[in-house]
Amino acid sequence: MKQLLSIFESFGSTLELLVRAGSYVGTLPRQRARFIEQCYLIGYTTLPIVAILSFFIGSVLALQAGYSMQNFGAKQFIGSLVGLSMARELGPVMVAILLAGRVGSAITAELASMKVYQEVDALVTMNIPPARMLVLPRLAAALAMVPVLAIIADLVGWFGGAIVAKYVAFISIEPESYFAVLRRYMVFKDVLNGLIKAESFGFVVVLVCCNIGLNTRGGPREIGAAVTRAVVVSLILILVLDYFITKALM
Amino acid sequence: MQNSQQTARVGLFFILGLALTWVTFETLSGGRVFKNKGYTLIAGFESLKELKEGDDVRMAGVKVGVVEKTRLAGRRAEAILRIEGDTKIPSDATASIVMAGLIGTNYIGVDLGSAGVPPLAPGSEIRTKVTPDINAIMTELGNLGQKLEGALGAFGNSMNGDGRNPGLFQKLDRLVTENGERVNTTMTNLQEITTKLNRGEGTLGKLVNDPALHDELVAAVGEIKTTATQARVFVTDAQGLLAQVKTGKGPLGTLVYDEAAANDLKATVANLRQVSDKLAKGEGTLGKLINDDSLFTSAQSTLRKADRAIDGLDDSGPITAVGIVAKSLF
Repeated sequence: MKQLLSIFESFGSTLELLVRAGSYVGTLPRQRARFIEQCYLIGYTTLPIVAILSFFIGSVLALQAGYSMQNFGAKQFIGSLVGLSMARELGPVMVAILLAGRVGSAITAELASMKVYQEVDALVTMNIPPARMLVLPRLAAALAMVPVLAIIADLVGWFGGAIVAKYVAFISIEPESYFAVLRRYMVFKDVLNGLIKAESFGFVVVLVCCNIGLNTRGGPREIGAAVTRAVVVSLILILVLDYFITKALM
Repeated sequence: MQNSQQTARVGLFFILGLALTWVTFETLSGGRVFKNKGYTLIAGFESLKELKEGDDVRMAGVKVGVVEKTRLAGRRAEAILRIEGDTKIPSDATASIVMAGLIGTNYIGVDLGSAGVPPLAPGSEIRTKVTPDINAIMTELGNLGQKLEGALGAFGNSMNGDGRNPGLFQKLDRLVTENGERVNTTMTNLQEITTKLNRGEGTLGKLVNDPALHDELVAAVGEIKTTATQARVFVTDAQGLLAQVKTGKGPLGTLVYDEAAANDLKATVANLRQVSDKLAKGEGTLGKLINDDSLFTSAQSTLRKADRAIDGLDDSGPITAVGIVAKSLF
């Protein structure tokens, strides 16, 4: 019961933080430097790991699909399988998980440290709302950068699949055929669904990580616990939201 | 400096994301958001099969538009075709769903229609025709296979029999078994005949083996050829003659084709008939001469008298000759 209450409390405080941050949207142009800095951290510095992971996820997907499909002569459909899987599911989920692991943990650690070392209290004392200065730029940056990461993940994953489909001996499908089938069975709506999902995941991950960081109590040990909790909650929320958003977008 | 670099990288990254999204959109959906140029046509079908939005509309194989929308309209399915640019579709052009590949890729194929026919107006309906899809073809193939199997079964029965009636093979077998002796005799006779032929015996054998007979045959054929050539010349001449007659040239032609000459001839023949009738009746001098014996008798008597007178003339001299002749005559 206590844990259930704790969950509801976290949920409520997260919504409260969202409302407070939303109330400062008008101040975003004046926080341009912070917004750019967060964009750089969330988007630009995350790009290499997103590209590497999506390339190999696309490759493995093509490899596994080719291995299982060769038994019933459906190898030529690998393009559509990789394309749809990456665009609708794996691209957004993978970007969100990387965001939770790399950016969310950093956000929680930074805000938890500021909270533990009373920098947040100092801001409040100076009448600078943490939701405006610390949370809003991060949320805005997540909204701006996550779709970009997701589309890059999709395309890199498709190319990874195409390379595997061409050069693995037991698949041997030319890229023209691979992309023709991909185009045949995909519409932009599939990609758009993925981008909407990635946007939602990224926003929720950043919001949850900010909330957990700002609600950290205690000493330095709590910082680590908060980071762990932020990553775990983010991962759970990503997968739960994934189901409902997928269902809603179908 | 640090901040400006960071801003530039973020800006570049964001533009890259937008560009990639745009490229993906163009690739997968044909990028129709800002390209609603051209005009639309409606194509109604019983079934759109595997046709989907974004598929090509091709006229004589050239892409002229895309399938903008697919929808159900009452008891049929409709595809809204967006024809790009100023491509004119003749009003008698026909649209059909064409299968571009075995994996279900389809497009709308439009034929060229007739020259000089007014083009379809925007929003109007284009004529369509049904083309068999792969399922229909496979069904037809299945039916064909069944028919082929039935036909082969019937053929097998006719060859091998169906249990009650003997087949062709059984009949042939029985025929050969029952007539084996006769067949042997026939074969022996045939063998003897060919042996004789080979030896040059008999007329046919000599014809086959004797070169002299061959030469004679060749000479005979040569003569027949010469005769045939002459006959051909004769026929040619006869044809020329006939042609001349037909054109009315020459006496015969004139006689056959000249009406005046024919009338003259008829009149002549009629006159001749009249003369001959008179002669037969003994009319006229010549008729009497022919039919009256008295004239002959008197002529004979006169000639006798003349003869005597001449004899007397020899005796009495020429002076009295005229008187004698006149006396004998009158």
